[in-house]
Amino acid sequence: MGYFLFRRTLGFVLTLITVSVVVFAVMNVLPGDPALTILGIEATDEALDNLRRQLGLNDPVHVRYLNWVGGALTGDFGTSHSFRVPVSELIVERLPLTVSLAVSGMVLTIILALTLGIGAAANHGKPGDWGVMFIAQIGIAVPSFWLSILLVLLFAVTLQWLPPGGFPGWSDPVGALRSLVLPTAALALVQGAVLARVTRSSALEVMRLDYVRTARATGFSRQRVLWRHVLPNAMVPIVTIVGLQFASLVTGTIVIENVFYLPGLGRLIFQSISNRDLPTVQALVMLFAAIVVTVNFIVDVLYVLIDPRLKGRN
Amino acid sequence: MQLDRVSVAFGAAVALREACLQIEPGTRLGIVGESGCGKSMLGLCLMGMIPDAGKVSGSIRLNGKELAGAPEHVWRRHRARDVAMIFQEPMAALNPLKRIGDTVMEPLEVHEGLSRSAARARALALFDEVGIPDPDSRLRQYPHEISGGQRQRVLIALALACNPSLLVADEPTTALDANVALRIIDLLVRLSETRNMALVFISHDLAAVARATQQIAVMYGGDIVERGPTAQVLGAPRHPYTIGLLGARPGLDNRGRGPDGRRKRLVTIPGTVPPLFELPAGCRFSGRCTREIASCALQRPQPLALGAGQVAACHLLGQAHAGAGAS
Amino acid sequence: MARLVVRWPARLPVNLMIGALLVALVVGVAALSLIWTPHDHAAMTIRNRFQPADGVYWLGTDQLGRDIVSQLMVAARNSMTVALVAVLIGGSIGVALGLLASALGGWVEDLIMRVADIGFAFPALLFAIMLSAVFGPSLTIAVAAIAFINIPVFARVARASANQVWTRDFVAAARAAGHGRFAISRDHILPNIAAPVIVQGTIEFAVAILAEAALSYLGLGAQPPSPSWGRMLSEAQTLMFMAPHLAIYPGLCIVIAVLGFSLLGDGLRDITDPRLKRRRA
Repeated sequence: MGYFLFRRTLGFVLTLITVSVVVFAVMNVLPGDPALTILGIEATDEALDNLRRQLGLNDPVHVRYLNWVGGALTGDFGTSHSFRVPVSELIVERLPLTVSLAVSGMVLTIILALTLGIGAAANHGKPGDWGVMFIAQIGIAVPSFWLSILLVLLFAVTLQWLPPGGFPGWSDPVGALRSLVLPTAALALVQGAVLARVTRSSALEVMRLDYVRTARATGFSRQRVLWRHVLPNAMVPIVTIVGLQFASLVTGTIVIENVFYLPGLGRLIFQSISNRDLPTVQALVMLFAAIVVTVNFIVDVLYVLIDPRLKGRN
Repeated sequence: MQLDRVSVAFGAAVALREACLQIEPGTRLGIVGESGCGKSMLGLCLMGMIPDAGKVSGSIRLNGKELAGAPEHVWRRHRARDVAMIFQEPMAALNPLKRIGDTVMEPLEVHEGLSRSAARARALALFDEVGIPDPDSRLRQYPHEISGGQRQRVLIALALACNPSLLVADEPTTALDANVALRIIDLLVRLSETRNMALVFISHDLAAVARATQQIAVMYGGDIVERGPTAQVLGAPRHPYTIGLLGARPGLDNRGRGPDGRRKRLVTIPGTVPPLFELPAGCRFSGRCTREIASCALQRPQPLALGAGQVAACHLLGQAHAGAGAS
Repeated sequence: MARLVVRWPARLPVNLMIGALLVALVVGVAALSLIWTPHDHAAMTIRNRFQPADGVYWLGTDQLGRDIVSQLMVAARNSMTVALVAVLIGGSIGVALGLLASALGGWVEDLIMRVADIGFAFPALLFAIMLSAVFGPSLTIAVAAIAFINIPVFARVARASANQVWTRDFVAAARAAGHGRFAISRDHILPNIAAPVIVQGTIEFAVAILAEAALSYLGLGAQPPSPSWGRMLSEAQTLMFMAPHLAIYPGLCIVIAVLGFSLLGDGLRDITDPRLKRRRA
């Protein structure tokens, strides 16, 4: 157990370092002169020199990399070129919205996937099963931004129940929640379709096993067998997919924020691209990648908590 | 428990054909046959756990109550409380994510409404009864942490939790070492006697069945071909299949030399068991039987009482009987 | 082991047939757009803007008076091209890396697969965002980003399948005959991992179509005037109150194309992987 954790932690740190090198290389080395990229070719030499000095571009590459990593670890991501405030300030300001969207999307995804997936497995080969499988198959092919547009068409344009986009700020809690309903639904429906399929096949796999027969032979109700015996055992592949899907959930959050004009990190990243604000883009890409890597690490460790058989092993 | 002309069909494949059995309280019945003969299907019938695709006909009565065709929720009330079952692979039959204590306590808490501490006390008593040493620390272990024999004992404890009057053991010793298997058989026999609990012991191992049971039913191709007191059937088998099955058993009396001075050979049944959907319509054993007559493949032999409780279904016996009656 | 030589089952799986039908439809329309579209897809006739569907404009016209059907057809061609190029590039590099990992084993295999794991942590969108911030958004960057995320996917599939083939007798025979690891990889391993690689390629094709649409929707893919389903949707979104129907057709096209390729991929897997089929039965 200890050795397992040590190995996983080491791998996690190495992955983070590799990711940071890749991000740094793409953003700082590929463009040649980031100052020129930011300011454009019509910039004066004086302005370029100023910016180079400001960004520390006159130092050697490895010093710049270490400065950047060191800063990032202490919460200093440099200064946003377009907003003229520290990037960390921008992030702190927008993080709550992005996290709310991602977490509510994730929770709804899991609720949808487990109910539909287990329900389909319990009715294997019956119309309910076919229905879930059909919806899931379609759901996998539907892009989240198109689903968002359809939801807006129905609930905002036609029925006018919910706002089509925008965010009134947290000072208006009801308005804030109302404007998160459609984005959350759009995020969860697409993610849930993938996960429901995995849940179903994983549950079907487990339902064939002997200990499920034992549970039935012990006279437990169908519901009890499903939720207490089948589901925990089906969780291992489900958790794997949740971990793998987290990358697409992050992507989905970025897309959905842009569809609904929500002022979160995903919207910020696109504003920064149009503003050629390289320090902000670099910080945000690193942040998103780090979140994905961290979640995958947590999932790895979760296995051991779910499955006691792994505890003794290395 | 009483089975009358119980059949199970999966489409055209008949897994069990008109099985008749009577299981009295406290008695021990063995069911033997090769794999695929329908003995496990018979066991599942007693639990009402035939797979959805299977069609059950005939009558299954438990204490006089008709259960054939009863819906799942009716059967569920009888499982664990009236009939319980243990399975072949004790590792696979235990939920790997639950501590074995929780597994055994679950039916006590769910079915009997016991509190956690009361359930724990009962689980300890059960572990003691089935001979699990150091039950206190065992309760906290996971299935992968204990040996195969101990796992089978845990499964037996689980099956006994709600004091069933009938225990169905489907190949309970097949996956175990020979000496561990013997101790499990003796445990089952002792439990049946002390609890006055009926035992249905399903196995392909004749020695195990001989040791465990008083009555025996021999199955082939979904039919019960011969039944009766265990000693009687194994000592003086009448059905050609039973005779073949005993001949195919490597045992003490197959060794050495016969009276004619020739070395005794292991007699095997020619051919292999055909798939369920290719079974002959009449006697299932026709085509492999060495003493086959014309009517065998066409007409189904009826069970014939041969005295001393022995019953066999074979045209040859019917002929001999009819011949004896005419003279 | 899944091999390219497959005994065709008497009845093809339903998903394979539906998938093949949808793929044929999309690819057929894309190919047709090379020689014929009902109208010039880029011709703007402001007088004819927001025309309803009729005999002339089968699905009507957009805010600039361009024919919707013609745009959808050309967009299908663009989408297929992007997906094909991205999957081919990413697939080739990935398969080469997987074969290399499997052939050399040891620390090379560990290193390649560990790096592939890291690649999984990088969604195509983040990669496209970085490149777009540096070079400015373009279709080339979208293709590069999609190709990049395909590398680890194919590396894994190729290595897993190749490791199985390496244990087989004909490989041992080839080694005994003195063939080198790379020659064996090329002559014996590659042909025998073709089936799983093609299955994965079909599924990744669907993923690539979806990714291209998303990137174009976000402005990181196809740039005007090149038509793209994703970009048509982002334009339609701004006109949602005026012309809601514009937001329907491009989305349907994406669904049909993605559904087609993913069903085809599932179906191909069903008939090429006997292990899976047995489990389904």
